[in-house]
Amino acid sequence: MSIAIVTFKGIIRDRVPQGILSCALIFLVIPAVSALSMRQVTELSLTLSLSLVSFLLLLLAIFLGSVSLWRDVERRYTHGVLTLPISRGRYVVGRFVGISTFLFGTVIFLGGLTLAVVAFVSATYVPERAVAWTAVIAALGFEMLQCLLLVGFAVLFSSVSTSFFLPVFGSLAVYLVGGASQQAYDYVLSPAGQTLTPLVRQVAEVLYYILPNFSAFDLKVNAIYALPLDPSAIALTACYGLLYTAFVLILAAAIYSRRELG
Amino acid sequence: MKGYFAPAVCVLLAYLVLLGPFTRAMAQKPFEEKLGLVPNPKVLQVLLPDYQEVMAASIIGKVILYYGSLTGHLDQPGKIIYAADYPAMSRTVHAALRLDPYNMDGYYFGQAILAWDARQYQLASDLLEYGMQHRTWDWQLPFFAGFNYAYFLSDKEKAAQMYMRAGELSGSALFNKLAGRYLQESGQTQMAIDYLQTMLKGAHNPAVKKSLQVRIEAFQAVLLIEQARDRYKSVKGRAPGAVEELVVDGFLDTLPPDPYGGRFYFDKNQQVHTTSKFAFSSSPDSSDSTP
Repeated sequence: MSIAIVTFKGIIRDRVPQGILSCALIFLVIPAVSALSMRQVTELSLTLSLSLVSFLLLLLAIFLGSVSLWRDVERRYTHGVLTLPISRGRYVVGRFVGISTFLFGTVIFLGGLTLAVVAFVSATYVPERAVAWTAVIAALGFEMLQCLLLVGFAVLFSSVSTSFFLPVFGSLAVYLVGGASQQAYDYVLSPAGQTLTPLVRQVAEVLYYILPNFSAFDLKVNAIYALPLDPSAIALTACYGLLYTAFVLILAAAIYSRRELG
Repeated sequence: MKGYFAPAVCVLLAYLVLLGPFTRAMAQKPFEEKLGLVPNPKVLQVLLPDYQEVMAASIIGKVILYYGSLTGHLDQPGKIIYAADYPAMSRTVHAALRLDPYNMDGYYFGQAILAWDARQYQLASDLLEYGMQHRTWDWQLPFFAGFNYAYFLSDKEKAAQMYMRAGELSGSALFNKLAGRYLQESGQTQMAIDYLQTMLKGAHNPAVKKSLQVRIEAFQAVLLIEQARDRYKSVKGRAPGAVEELVVDGFLDTLPPDPYGGRFYFDKNQQVHTTSKFAFSSSPDSSDSTP
């Protein structure tokens, strides 16, 4: 728990909240930009707000997750910390919990701004379909869940890397691959995919089950156009996200426990 | 500090000198370059999996601004003063709607440029039908498509289908009436009657109910005449010259009245029409006007 608190305080000390606050100023121009739409002003304000939240969370997840363990090793803090009576596994999990707590606070802050902007815009330009607030909150929540998984991957890459680049580019690659894995799988199953060799199809299928599937976490379209949510699919995705994150963290802790820290 | 002043002023002056030509060069860029080449939507889906909606909104925003730049003068709003690259706009809007098939701005603008400016009626209608698969609650898409089929493409059967859908989604009596009319004009009078009777069952407003009842009555009269016309053809081997011949030759007991006050007649294709055009006339004499 103390590691988590130290991590959280470290993020605050690095002036990350000030950076988020300066980016959050963009929310002020969203109502004006949304008014450029011809037929969907509220929908555009939701699109812009949710995409901004998603983008900021992505940056935070990749950089905070990648930097923490690597910097500790680089600055030789780890040696001091590991003399304390805590295991390396708990140390990794503590770092993850600290970053996740900060991300959770950020998503509440940015989510609050999103709701305020959308409430303002929808009161000014009444949309054809009422804003589905539950879907908006669900979209923000699942954005957070996706970021937790990304932080998990960033921590995993940090646990094996001696440089800053592998965790950053590794997490970015996981993000891109995770976003496209469902499409690749759908293509393999489609009639066009039947022309592929059976070996390629089997490899694609195995990769689909191994790689994370981030498209399940994207509920932006439901929030923007007030499309109904499927409660069972949402519950399954939440379980999938939590289990996958837990597995990645266990792997990171196991690797870090055996790592040579010279 | 003093040492930096002179270089800073020099750079600033050079920047100010450059600003005018630079701004003009940017403004005079060819439209194709301004609009830019939108990558294949499949590539964008893979590269930016989380940001498809914002990409689509950005692309459509670009097209709208580009279109706005073609109509420069405020004293003649809407007048196109530069040549518009409609194929480029169409391609761009299509790409954006592949990224976000729910974006209403894309369909609205697509309809405006494709149907009205580029005269690509079928392409516009296809785009709207693609939108209907996604925006299943939106009556505007079938309304636009119905209009294209009726007004531009003269496909009354498709127009009727689209207006039926717009009527179901909006509950608007106007669309239901239009759907009934286009069904009757496309030679599907019995279907128009069935459709209007279904609408009648769900109608609560007394004025709408009355309006539907009158229309059903008129179409039932049309159906009687059509059936008599077909019997005439099969017996005599030729089409009747006028509606009155059906009564004279005993295929109808009496000519059914038009509840709108008009007179039924055959057009050159032997389709049954009425001088009332299935609407109550505002002046009492106009219904007597000959076709």
